[in-house]
Amino acid sequence: MIPKISRVLTLILIATAAIILTGCNKSNEAAPASAPQQKQFVIGMSQCNLGEPWRVHMNADIAAAAAKHPELNVIFKDAQNDTLQQRAQVEEFVSSKVDLIIISPKEAQPLTEPVADAVQAGIPVIVLDRRLLGTNYTCFIGADNKKIGYAAGKWIVNALGGHGNVVELMGLQTSTPGQDRHSGFMAAIAGTDIKVIFSADMQWLEPNARQEMESALSRFDSIDLVYAHNDDGAHGAYLAAKAAGRDKQMKFVGIDALPQEGVAYVQQGILDATFQYPTGGAQAIDTALKILHGEAVPQEITLNTRLFTKDTVTQGGQELP
Amino acid sequence: MSDKSKNPLLRAFASPAGRAFLALLLVLLLGVIFNGDSAFFKIGTHRDALRQASVYGILACGMTLVIISGGIDLAVGSLLALTAVCCAKMAIHWNWSGWLTVPACLLVGALCGSVSGFITARLRIQPFIATLSMMVLARGLAKYVSGGMKVSTAIMNPDGTYRYVDVPHFFRLVDSRILGGNLSVVTLIFAACVALAWLLMAKHRWGSYLYAIGGNEEASRLSGVPVVAAKMMAYVFSGIFAAVAGICQAAQEQQGDPEAGAGYELMAIAMVVIGGTSLMGGRGGIGLTLLGVLTIGYLDKILSINAVPEAGRLMLTGIIIVVAVLTQRRKRT
Repeated sequence: MIPKISRVLTLILIATAAIILTGCNKSNEAAPASAPQQKQFVIGMSQCNLGEPWRVHMNADIAAAAAKHPELNVIFKDAQNDTLQQRAQVEEFVSSKVDLIIISPKEAQPLTEPVADAVQAGIPVIVLDRRLLGTNYTCFIGADNKKIGYAAGKWIVNALGGHGNVVELMGLQTSTPGQDRHSGFMAAIAGTDIKVIFSADMQWLEPNARQEMESALSRFDSIDLVYAHNDDGAHGAYLAAKAAGRDKQMKFVGIDALPQEGVAYVQQGILDATFQYPTGGAQAIDTALKILHGEAVPQEITLNTRLFTKDTVTQGGQELP
Repeated sequence: MSDKSKNPLLRAFASPAGRAFLALLLVLLLGVIFNGDSAFFKIGTHRDALRQASVYGILACGMTLVIISGGIDLAVGSLLALTAVCCAKMAIHWNWSGWLTVPACLLVGALCGSVSGFITARLRIQPFIATLSMMVLARGLAKYVSGGMKVSTAIMNPDGTYRYVDVPHFFRLVDSRILGGNLSVVTLIFAACVALAWLLMAKHRWGSYLYAIGGNEEASRLSGVPVVAAKMMAYVFSGIFAAVAGICQAAQEQQGDPEAGAGYELMAIAMVVIGGTSLMGGRGGIGLTLLGVLTIGYLDKILSINAVPEAGRLMLTGIIIVVAVLTQRRKRT
């Protein structure tokens, strides 16, 4: 009886898998069929992990920018946070002879050589967001977290008039973005009378940020501003302060400025400011077009951040140098 | 046995509940010593500690049922995310009322729980594997339903712009406080879950079935216990409790996060075990779990008000869990 049921289940499973797989194949084949006569370019895009909304947004930016150019056909692959899988994806792109590769690598060391091999095989590679070792790629596009932390710090100094008590809710401190957003901020407030009275690692997570903020609220009666390394953290802190009836006494500053998160929070009056951590998706497609048409591109493009406050949010933020 | 100790106090501390209580007292003592500029003596700190522990605690209620039946449920963290996403989708995006959203979410939890239960109890797959696959599946479903984005009050229009809607009324209700702002509603929900789990286990025949199955499954089968049905029910209730936790999570975050609840299952298991419920099944109870929830919840809060750096926090938590479990170890009789 029991083996029979499991056999039926196995059958169902295989059938479902087959349906899903054939479904995927179809959608892959459909794309080139709709092509006009213009010279076509195939771009392979390997995303390290689609588990984070920011990376989902990056893919959406790339897709939106590419949609304006009918001659581009972008094949998206998700490495699901697996370095070796991402390496295999790069190798697949090389063997299927795509015209250009965009990669947002999971980590530097193991992916440096596969990318170098692709360049060796004559396929230009654009590296997005995270760096590789050395310079064996065509172009790197990314933002500078230290700069963003510094910009946030300068804005905070200005907003508080140079003195006040700040709570810092940090992103994972074993991650480079977390470290850079912290060190940039500290550099900007150095020499002012701004004191960081409470700082905690909330690991980018909203529930953790809320808990840490509750602790800060019960310890300190005077808090002027909360600087969180991402908008989730700032939102969690806001909810904690609001529950304590103290949200009007302080300002909330976040980073990332995703349209449905940080920018929405600013629009709703929850955050006072958020600094965009740009995905570079649109710039990647721009750069890809230049490369494909034989134009020269710089090997390194640093993206500027945009500041969103109540005054600038309706105009799409304000670009910072 | 009886001549071991005549002192009633010592005897009380020798029982599992007494030892779990002792662990809680020790943690509270830590709080009194390291009180973070006397923040520990403020009532708000305790309210917040209980609020923070509530979501874990609700998961631990379901986990207790499953563990006593000799199983384990690794899927609760992912189920929390799935129901949080569904809840936010229904309440925020589709504007369903709480009366419709809550039962629908509980149904999602119960369905997923019944699948785990069916695979474990009926198809006789080890619970670790069965619930591990449910954990992965539910995480995938959460990402599918949400489209990989957080389901928040910013809703994307077809043309790519965003419109903003209010936070649903029942979200605010769940995330509010009563008794003059001194008790969070989520803590009340947690208390209700504890009461429900206690009723099921201590007052209902089904509870004794679970203990019997956890103690010796074959013997209970031979003595006429409906093993398959009883075990399935344990996973169904674990799914329902996970759904309750998911609703609380969504209400507190004012959004449905498909990544929420990662690792919560381990926290829930730790809370159950620290209380003194045996991972082998057949021994323990919901009262012990309550003590375990309070112990870990307070430990978390004390580390937080003292702003202990992350590395130290993890090390201390690990050490204290081991110490607490060691005090729970039964002497061979």
